[in-house]
Parts: sequence; structure tokens; C-alpha cells
Amino acid sequence: MNQTSTLEKTIRGVLIALVLVFFLFPIFWILLMSFQNNDQILRIPPSLLFEPTLQNYTALLTGTLKTTAGNLDIAFMRNLGNSLLLSACSVALSLLLGVPAAYAFARYKFRLGENIAFTLLSFRFAPPLLVLLPLSLFFKQLHLTDTYVGLIWVYQLICLPLILWIVRGYFEDISPDIEHAYRISGNGWWRTFRKIAIPLARPGIAAAGLLAFIFAWNNFIFALILASASKQPVTVGALAFVTASGIQYGQIAAAIVLSVTPTLLLALYAQRYLVEGLSLGAVKG
Amino acid sequence: MTSLELRNVSKGFKSGKVLEDVSLSVNAGEIVVVFGPSGTGKTVLLRIVAGVQDPDTGSVAIDGEDVTDASPEARNVGMAFQNFALFPHFSTFDNIASPLAARETPAAKLKDQVGAIARMLKIDHVLGHAPRELSNGQKQRTALARALVAQPKVLLLDDPLRNVDAKLRYEMRLELPRLLRTFNAAVIYVTQDYKEAMALGDHIAVLRNGRIEQWAAPTTVYREPVSVEVARLFGDPTINLLPCKLEGDHVTLFGRLVPISGAYAHAAGRDLIAGLRPEHVVVTEAEAPGAIAFELDAVMPVNVRSVLYLRGAGGEELLATVGESEAAKFGRGHRKVWVRFDPRDLLLFDATSGQRIAPQVH
Amino acid sequence: MAQLLLDSVSKTYRPRGKEPVQAVKRVSLDVKDGEIVALLGSSGCGKTSMLRMIAGFEDVTEGAIRIGGREIHLLPPAQRDVAMAFEGYSLYPPLKVRENIGFALLRERGASADIEKRVTHIADLLEITDILDRYPTVISAGQQQRTSLARALIRRAPVSLLDEPMSQLEPQLRAILRARLKDYLIEHKMTTVFVTHDQTEAIALADRIAVMEKGELQQFGTPAEIKQSPSNLFVASFIGEPPMNIFDAAIASEAGATAISGLGPNGQPAFRIQAPAAEAGNAARVRLGIRPHLIEIGANESADATGKVITNHWLGDQSHICFEIGGCSVVGVTDKPIEAQAGDALPVRFPLGAVHLFDAESGRALAHGLGRRS
Repeated sequence: MNQTSTLEKTIRGVLIALVLVFFLFPIFWILLMSFQNNDQILRIPPSLLFEPTLQNYTALLTGTLKTTAGNLDIAFMRNLGNSLLLSACSVALSLLLGVPAAYAFARYKFRLGENIAFTLLSFRFAPPLLVLLPLSLFFKQLHLTDTYVGLIWVYQLICLPLILWIVRGYFEDISPDIEHAYRISGNGWWRTFRKIAIPLARPGIAAAGLLAFIFAWNNFIFALILASASKQPVTVGALAFVTASGIQYGQIAAAIVLSVTPTLLLALYAQRYLVEGLSLGAVKG
Repeated sequence: MTSLELRNVSKGFKSGKVLEDVSLSVNAGEIVVVFGPSGTGKTVLLRIVAGVQDPDTGSVAIDGEDVTDASPEARNVGMAFQNFALFPHFSTFDNIASPLAARETPAAKLKDQVGAIARMLKIDHVLGHAPRELSNGQKQRTALARALVAQPKVLLLDDPLRNVDAKLRYEMRLELPRLLRTFNAAVIYVTQDYKEAMALGDHIAVLRNGRIEQWAAPTTVYREPVSVEVARLFGDPTINLLPCKLEGDHVTLFGRLVPISGAYAHAAGRDLIAGLRPEHVVVTEAEAPGAIAFELDAVMPVNVRSVLYLRGAGGEELLATVGESEAAKFGRGHRKVWVRFDPRDLLLFDATSGQRIAPQVH
Repeated sequence: MAQLLLDSVSKTYRPRGKEPVQAVKRVSLDVKDGEIVALLGSSGCGKTSMLRMIAGFEDVTEGAIRIGGREIHLLPPAQRDVAMAFEGYSLYPPLKVRENIGFALLRERGASADIEKRVTHIADLLEITDILDRYPTVISAGQQQRTSLARALIRRAPVSLLDEPMSQLEPQLRAILRARLKDYLIEHKMTTVFVTHDQTEAIALADRIAVMEKGELQQFGTPAEIKQSPSNLFVASFIGEPPMNIFDAAIASEAGATAISGLGPNGQPAFRIQAPAAEAGNAARVRLGIRPHLIEIGANESADATGKVITNHWLGDQSHICFEIGGCSVVGVTDKPIEAQAGDALPVRFPLGAVHLFDAESGRALAHGLGRRS
């Protein structure tokens, strides 16, 4: 009664393979494209066999693109650096603000607490375009346009709600009796927060931080409008390959591969934490 | 000397009042059991004494000093929780040591004190383990060790034996009183098990609906319960409760007039409930003078005694307990038997208020 | 109502990527028509696996199960005609309690007035009359458990299987509900098998108890047999609250009689009992067991030892006293209050008829009761 027949197993395997192909094919193709030059890419019919070339990657890494129309300066490495800086700093700030806030929401039931928490979450629902126009006007007045500080501040709209909601669930999962026991042992509330709450919520904090990093990295619209070329992250930087002399597909593909790799590696490494962190309300041991 | 005193403590939540005007005092070296059915009142009481929850009104005093506004870490109280509440990311040693570490006890002295109490509670061989590697019994002893190690003035034990298996629970029930007395602290012990309450408490406070319904020594609570509810809570099997009426010197029970001494004259005319403990019901195979006929429907051996399930001619249910060897002659039941009892063993309660009516001695 | 036979039944679980687990090892049980049998043991002993095999939710790895002579272990659950009350209650959420209980009767197409009567009767018995019109999601765990029990019992199936039927019940209701349950089963002559880890419940309800440990049947007998003649140390120490007192002991023959010395924790003699010759066999080292309520406390003549009182608890209808005798901890129970405080000395007698001897190595029982003292 409990054994799956070989037929069932084969069908299941085939279905999984189909689903995998459907989702992974575009990434696979882009990876291929990054090793081809424009002629190979635009050839019809497209073929899986070709002579690989590293010229796209060299162009990105050295910063110069040799085209038929002359040499072009590419600031891709600077964009990569910007992404790294913006994402890391945004996450750090949101953790600094969000973790204590999550603890307050979890432990202290104050009036309007749920309302405030929900409002903060709603920032994730709002389409960024909605706030962009007024935001850009404010930024001009505050002289924050095209500054790292301004962007990091705006990125809190992306990162903070995530931290708040995921980490709050984790704090709520810690039995209050454990914190009570630590207080009764003779420790104050700040010490209890540092030595008990944070260590026990660590998987959740790590997961929330990773997710926030990935979302900040992927953001396009804020950086596009509120920053100029020198501060732009890779998401916007990819636009540079649409040149007057044609679209450099090869470089775009290479740029995409380089953009995606850091977050992909992070997610793979932290897979366990992500799954753990996202299954809120797990059973206490 | 009163080590712990609660005065008029009340606490309410959105769902209702959980504690209402509760007052009690505990002396050093005394164990007071707070007993009651499941509900949040007992744990809230302990939390208020510990300081992790504030009362709405009332005060808490330790050693004569008012601590109602003091934070938990300043009160020098030890507490053992029902679900142990051990710090999962600390070793057993660090768990027990935490009250001493918080007081910045020097390392050598800390090690000695933790070692001593671990030896006393027989967990010195698992000090290096993490809490998840311990059995329930060991976790419970670790929680106790943590509560005791700093020699607190007040010790709060929240149903510590609840999550421990039956055999170990029985052992601890024998061991705990001896252990607690060596520390000379004022102890409040919370439990739902009346046998534990009677075994451990010098005094029992029966908490029902947020109030202390009875405060007395264990034997008094058993023999002279203040109400029907308290009588029901103490005793296994539960006390038999039968509606009856007082007529002069008799009560009507099982269709008969049972003589009651004149001491109940003041209860004449009221609707009453008669309480009869199963161990006071005498069951015989043969008819005896004054005995009433009952149908014995089932026999249930229970450890040392057996419970007989009896049904009367009027459909009344009655439980009786007899010794193990006596029960053997009744077989599997479904036969006629004869029942007697001493009227002096009857407890009379007012049917409307549930309060016990005490016999008045002239 | 029917006879249930388990013939050398075994169950092995083979979880993927792990070692196979033998949950049940060649267990044979015969449950007579109308008998109430308890499967008793600690968690992981195999009792639940056994019940599920009888019901049909687990395959039988080896052996056969027969009900009324008919082999059922290869049939799907629906065709076995057994009723089951589950540990997880498993009530149908969209149906009211009343409809849950009466569900199986609808299948049998009885007259609806008759079904109503039977539902009311069983709800009365289990004290769930006031929740008959509620839905399973809003009632308490104890009430859900009783509803599940009612649903199984009302069918009066040839065989009824109950998985931990009263574990969630509040202590005050337990005695009376057990009584009514036993009465109902006897009255309708229902063959019943129930699983429990609570030995008090097993002894109270069952005609016979199957004690299991690590998948093996330790003993199958009436409560009296199990209490008076436990087949090994495990059964002896599992049954009874307080549990049986067990000591190391040494046997020596001297002058036509046998002297049994109870030994303390360091091997030193703690007390001595004289037994008629050759009663105790010739094992030099044994374990000695005596049940707490058979120890005679305060009997001055012919006391076997003097115990120092450690604790004395009066529980309203019985005294539990813990003594220290020669370094051993002994628990005695009596139904009178005893005037003694910690530190007092009380004479203690171990009646020969109450002494059990077990082999020190295998735990197997050697003797139950040691003859009469003159």
C-alpha cells in the first residue's frame, strides 16, 4: 500500500525534468550567449555548438569594449561595486533598525501595534513607481539625489519590512519562559535581548538578511531614477550595452551572468537558512 | 518569619479576571501548594511574585520589603518552569550557573557551587551536555538546580513534575520535600495533582475562579472541604455526590431515611447534596442490617484498591473502593450486592451555593 | 462479537536510507469473544503498530490475523468490520458532533429515530450531551477524544480498537467514565483491544493485559496474574503505583532453611528473611521484589528489619511511607494514617507470601511467594 510503483516514479521523474527545463532554460541560454560573439548569437537557426570566446568577459573586466565603431568605456566593474556597497549597507542598516523593532513587536503588545506593523509591511505591496515622482522631488530639495546615503535610505523601503516580519515570527517562536528564566536569574532586559533573544533567533535573522540582500541587489527602478551613472548598480548598468552601434548581446549576457552569480552563490550557500527562516511558526523543540 | 507575603493581588486580561484579591503568606522553610484545575491563574500568580508580570492591584513583599515595583533580576527569587525553560544554546553547566554568573561570582566559587548542587540532584555526570541531549527527568532536575543554586529566599515551582513520566514523578514526589527543606526557602509549589499537593504541602491554597477558596493543611482540605468543588478535586475516585433533603434527624438517600445527628438542624428545609467518599462505602455480598441493595456493574482494580461501580434502584451511580483481595470475590460484576456506610462519614453541602454545611456542636 | 487471533505477527519498518526497524517480533495473542484486552507498554514498544495492523492501516510483515476464524490481514480496513477510536481523534470537520457519532450507523441504514436514541444514549454515558450540536473545531481536546470514542463504540462492531482512549480526560471524570465504559463493553459483549501506556488504566479496564517492550510480548495475563506473578523484572517494575520495590539479594542455605539477605547499594546486607528450605532455588545472586502495600508496617512481633522513616505522606485514603533500611530505599503503602515523622524508626515485616525472586542476569521470575511461615 505504501510503495510507489516504478511507473509512478518514472512519470514523476519526467515531470520534474520538464519543469526544471522550463525554468532553467533561459539562464542556461544566457550562459551560452555570454561565451559567443554577436554573429554567433544572431545566427539563424541557433545552435548549441560553437566556438567559445572570452572576449565578452575580458571587455567587462578591463572596462573597454572594442566594437566596429571604435572603443567604448564600460563602467561595469564600478556598477558591480556599487551593487555590493548599496546592498550590504542597506541590509546592515535595516538589521540595526529592524531586529530591535521586531523584538518590540513580538514581546510588547501595545495599542496600535498590529496596525503599525501592517503599515510597515504594506510598503512592500506598494509599487515603487507610485512613490518615485514625489520622492525624486524630495530628494532634490534635500540634496540627496545621486548620493549613496540617499539610496541606502530609500532601500529601507525594500529591506525593513522583510526583516520586521520574518524576524518577528522568530522572536515569537521563542518561548517567553526562557527569557523570563534569564531575567529571574538576575539579568536585565538588554542583556536578555543580546544573550538569549538574538542567538536563538539567529537563523531567522540570517535568512531575513539574505533575502533583504537579494531583493536590494535586484532593485532597478530606484537606482535608475534617483542616481546617476557613477552610483548605479548592475541592474541599471546593463542598459549601457544598448549602444548607438547596435545591441551587444554578448556583453549583456556576460553582464547578467556576473550580476546573478553573487546572489545565486549566496542563496545556494544559505539554502538551509532560507528554508528554515521562511517556515515561520515551526514547532518548538 | 514571613519570607513572602502577597496582599490583595488582582490581575485581569481582556479575556477576564484571572486573579481576584489573592492574599497569602509563606514562611522560610515552609512549602505552600497552590492547587487548582488547569487555567492560567496559578502560573500568573507565580509570574507576579517573580516580577515578570505586574499585578493590577495589590503588593508583593519579600522579607518584609515591598518588591511590587522591583524588576525580576533584583528580587532574588528562584523559579522552575513546567516546560523547563532551559537555555537551549547553553550547556547544562552554564544553565545552572547563570544566576551565579549574573551576580559575577568568581569562577572557582561558581564551579564549586554548581558542582555541589549538581551532585545533590544527581546530574553531575551530564553537566557538559546540551539541554536537548538530556532526558525529561534530567531537564527537570537542571531547571531545579538553576532555581536553587543562588540560595534564593523565595522558590517558585510551576508544576515541575507535570512533563515527567509516572515512575520518575513518583520518585521525585518522595525526594522533593527533603531536598527543599535543606534550603530553608519560602516555597510556592503549583500543581493540579491533588496527591502531589497533599504529599508536599504544609498548607494548601485551593485556587478557583481567581480566588483562594480554601486555605488549610492537607488533611483538613480532604476531610473538611469548604465546598462541593473542592471536595471533587481531592480524592480518587471522585467523591460521590447525591442530592438529598433534610427531614428532622434524617436525610433521604437511596429512597431511605438515613439518621443524621441533630447537629444539622440549622440546615432544615434546604436542598442539599450529600458527599460520600468511595473509601467509606462498605460493600458486601450478603445482606447486612441497614444495608441497601445495589447492582454491581463493573469492577476496576486500581493499584492497591479496586473501584466498584454500583447502580441503585433509583438509577443512582455510586463508586466504592475496597481492598484488592476483597475485590476478587466480586468477579467481573453484574450481580447484586449490599451497601452500608456510616452516616458520620457524610459531608453535607448546600445545593444552591455549593458550600459545605458544618455540623453545629452544642 | 467475535474472537480475535494474532498468530506470530511481526512488523518491520524499512525507512528509506535508514536501518530497518523491527517494531513487533512474533507476537501471538488470542482474544476471546467479548473479552477486553489492553496492549500496555512504554512509547516505542510496538503496541500502536499492533493495533494498526489489526485495523488494516499497516501491512503485516509476517504472520496472520483472524477474526471469528476469518483471515483478515490481507483485507483493506473497510472490509474487516472493525471499529476504531484514533489517538488523533480524526473527526469529520464539516459534521456536527452528533453527526460524527452517528455516521457509521447511517451506512447500516437504521431507522433514524433509533439512531437518534443510540447517539443520545452514548453521549450521555460519555458526558458530551451538551456539545452534540457543536463542530469538532470548537470543542476541547478531551471532548474530541470522547466524541471519537463514542463514534467507535456506538457501532458495537465485532471487534473494537481503541488507541489511548482516555489520555486527555480530566482526572475528576476519569474514574466514572472508565466505570461506564467497562459497563458498556461488558453489557454489549464487545470484543475490545485498547492501547495504553498508563498501567492504572490497563489494570482498571482490561480482563487481560498484554505487556509489551521493544516489540516483544512480555506477559499476557489477567491483572491479578500480572500483579501477583509477573513473568520478569520488566513487568514487575512497570506495573503498580508505587512501583514494586526491587533489591539485590543473596541466597544462602543454612541449617535446613534458606536465608535471603537483601543487599544495600554497596552489597552490604540490609535485611534478612528466613524461608523454608529449597524454596528459593539455588541461584546465589537474585533480585528480590515486594509490592509496597504488602509490606507490613509497625508490626512489632517478628519484624524483619527496622526502617528509618524518610517521608510519610497521607493522601486522604492511603499512606505512602518511604523508609531507609540498610542503605536501601523502600516504599510502603497502607490505608491507615501512620503517626511517624522523618527520622523515626518503625518495624517492618516482609511477608514470605509477598516476596518475588528474579534471576539477576535475565530478569526472569524464579519464584512468586515463598511458602507459608509457621
